[in-house]
Amino acid sequence: MTDALSTNYFKLFEIPVSYDVDLDQVQHRYRDLQKAVHPDKYANASSQERRISMQHTSLINQALHTLKHPVERAMYLLQLKDVVFTMDNETTMDAAFLMEQMEMREKLEAVREQNDPLAELDSMSADVKSNMNNMADEFKRAYASDDLDDAREAVRKLQFLNKAKNEIDELAASIEDEII
Amino acid sequence: MALLQISEPGQSTAPHQHRLAVGIDLGTTNSLVASVRSGDVQTLPDEDGSHLLSSVVRYHEDGVEVGAVAAQHAITDPMNTIVSVKRFMGRGISDLRLLGNKLPYHFIDEDKAVPRIHTRGGDVSATEVSAEILKALKRRAVKTLGEEIQGAVITVPAYFDEAQRQATKDAATLAGLNVLRLLNEPTAAAVAYGLDSGQEGVIAVYDLGGGTFDISILRLNQGVFEVLATGGDSALGGDDFDHVIAEWILQQADYEADPEPQLVRLLMHASRNAKETLSEQTEADILIDADEIQWHGSLSRDQMDALIEPLIRKTLMSCRRALRDAEIGNQDIIEIVMVGGSTRVPHVRNKVGEFFECEPLVSIDPDRVVAIGAALQADVLVGNKTDEDMLLLDIIPLSLGIETMGGLSEKIIHRNTPIPVSRAQDFTTYKDGQTAMAVHVVQGERELVSDCRSLAHFELRGFPPQVAGAPRIRVTFQVDADGLLSVHAREENSGTEASVDVKPSYGLTDEEIESMLRASMDHAQEDMLARTLREEQVEAERVVEALDSAIKADAALLTDDERRLISETRDRLIAARVGDDPGLIKKAITELEAACEDFVARRMNTSIRKAMKGHSVDEYATED
Repeated sequence: MTDALSTNYFKLFEIPVSYDVDLDQVQHRYRDLQKAVHPDKYANASSQERRISMQHTSLINQALHTLKHPVERAMYLLQLKDVVFTMDNETTMDAAFLMEQMEMREKLEAVREQNDPLAELDSMSADVKSNMNNMADEFKRAYASDDLDDAREAVRKLQFLNKAKNEIDELAASIEDEII
Repeated sequence: MALLQISEPGQSTAPHQHRLAVGIDLGTTNSLVASVRSGDVQTLPDEDGSHLLSSVVRYHEDGVEVGAVAAQHAITDPMNTIVSVKRFMGRGISDLRLLGNKLPYHFIDEDKAVPRIHTRGGDVSATEVSAEILKALKRRAVKTLGEEIQGAVITVPAYFDEAQRQATKDAATLAGLNVLRLLNEPTAAAVAYGLDSGQEGVIAVYDLGGGTFDISILRLNQGVFEVLATGGDSALGGDDFDHVIAEWILQQADYEADPEPQLVRLLMHASRNAKETLSEQTEADILIDADEIQWHGSLSRDQMDALIEPLIRKTLMSCRRALRDAEIGNQDIIEIVMVGGSTRVPHVRNKVGEFFECEPLVSIDPDRVVAIGAALQADVLVGNKTDEDMLLLDIIPLSLGIETMGGLSEKIIHRNTPIPVSRAQDFTTYKDGQTAMAVHVVQGERELVSDCRSLAHFELRGFPPQVAGAPRIRVTFQVDADGLLSVHAREENSGTEASVDVKPSYGLTDEEIESMLRASMDHAQEDMLARTLREEQVEAERVVEALDSAIKADAALLTDDERRLISETRDRLIAARVGDDPGLIKKAITELEAACEDFVARRMNTSIRKAMKGHSVDEYATED
């Protein structure tokens, strides 16, 4: 019998172990899993059952987060192949990539001086997203051919890009707030 | 199957016995209690037929008054009459100062974490004041329904932080209520509208109460209400409308001094009346007849709209942010539900409709809609509707993190993460030979710890000295379905552990709650023992009942050995339960739980597999 707490997230959601996931399907299964284990279904149960239900629900929520997130999902796939990212300080050594990132940062810092900072941020955000898609393709290729070093490198870059995307979005949010 | 035949004479509960549960909307201005009776959900009125209970508590030397009676004295006896106490829940003295210097109360600023309000009946915390309101609602429910209440769902603004939630739950404990769930008000409103039946899509709930504002974005699908994002302001509401009107009146009357508490109450009262009049009419007459001010004038709806416009704009800003967090555009919203008395203001409805580009839903009384939703959920949770498919999936409204070097907050759980959730992060030491680490838990979005809300401090001590950076300290956050947090820290190399149920810095301690409960009983010692015994007996009953129905459903999952062991420990618990030693009952429960641990986990796995199996069958059916 498989134990939900130790099975891998893809199996738990009964989807193929792959970077390509059908997010609608994930969402649908998530609801079904929650209907089976959520603490509200055990409101009258013993405190033991409630505790175990909470553990399972937490796990399912964690699994959902991992399966939906483009970077976490890649890291998790690597982890399934025993490649573990120990701390967040893993960094790429690709000089050209790092240079691009630095240029992007400089642009971001100066964005408030632009005529239309929000439009500029929108276009930067779109650029980063498309870079992320390319990097995800690179990850998929490397992972499929079991080239784990390349896959790991792709994840490092994805982490970079994801962080940049968050910063762009946050800056856009704070500029919007000032305008309102 | 011999196991199933053991039963306690006179103790067995019929399987489908209706259990009484209530939904409580503990509001800033008004509170309500609702219940489902013979399939009908209703808010419960008092003897005078009034459904709303004013959230006002007046303290006397030897007792309290709650509701309209107390509210009548808000102006004449402001120091002993506490209104809008919800705004003080889970707040420290410095937060209260920020709420404005217009508060008439005398706060006791001593070293205790929780500020107390000085009244002639003693110094009271916001939690105790709220408990009085809950007790009044409980009395009303018991009187109307004629039986004891098994459990309650109590609503809180979705945007309430940990400290505010904990304070609410503590108030319920003081009032002697068994809390089935703390439910977010917007979710309750969506439930009340029955939006799950037949509709699929994304809705928004705009909840502007007396003192709080919430916006929630929910996805509905086959009975599942999934909160995608929430935002708001736990210190913005209709009271602020009254404030700006009151200030306008002072301006018009050329009054420049700081108004005394009594005058503040009077002005707020007049402002509120004017606001309510302007919901129906275009002009409101205002007459202030106090010692300090005599003023007579009128306020037009357009004037009021201009005064409250900045406040409405603030709420719409929160709406934008919530939409972005949910990654949803305004045009994706299929329905917008209006909740809270302040949504009666026409300008609010217009602005919100404009923003979401759809006509707001207002068919259920916005004052009652939350209590009605809470009662429906309480009825499900207490077990009256076992076949019910409804499930409410909530999220955490504000990020949780811990303080790291340089006073920065490292977020461990981000806002809008579905709960329950458990997440761990590793930290390390920064000095050689360090053997202890202070963990400071904070909540909020800002980078600097000083800009976030401090929730708790605790220490992990006694791990072996190592070079800086070598220890691996894993901090685990667990948030339950009510949004309440517990934190656990462990040094992985040595196994040193420390954990804490987060009792917010501004919350009452367990000891304080215990002593308040004790104080409220006549023969303290005896009653506490009796209460503990009763609690253990109830838990024992619950455990046995749950076990029996589990075995009935899934006997096949048990091995013969397990069955024997469970049966023996179950007998021991039943023997202990009729005795009068709570310690013994507790021990027997722990033993039975240990014997059942594997069985319970296996059942959980089976139900997961069943849930997933349903899937593959469906898919075959559609694919073929």
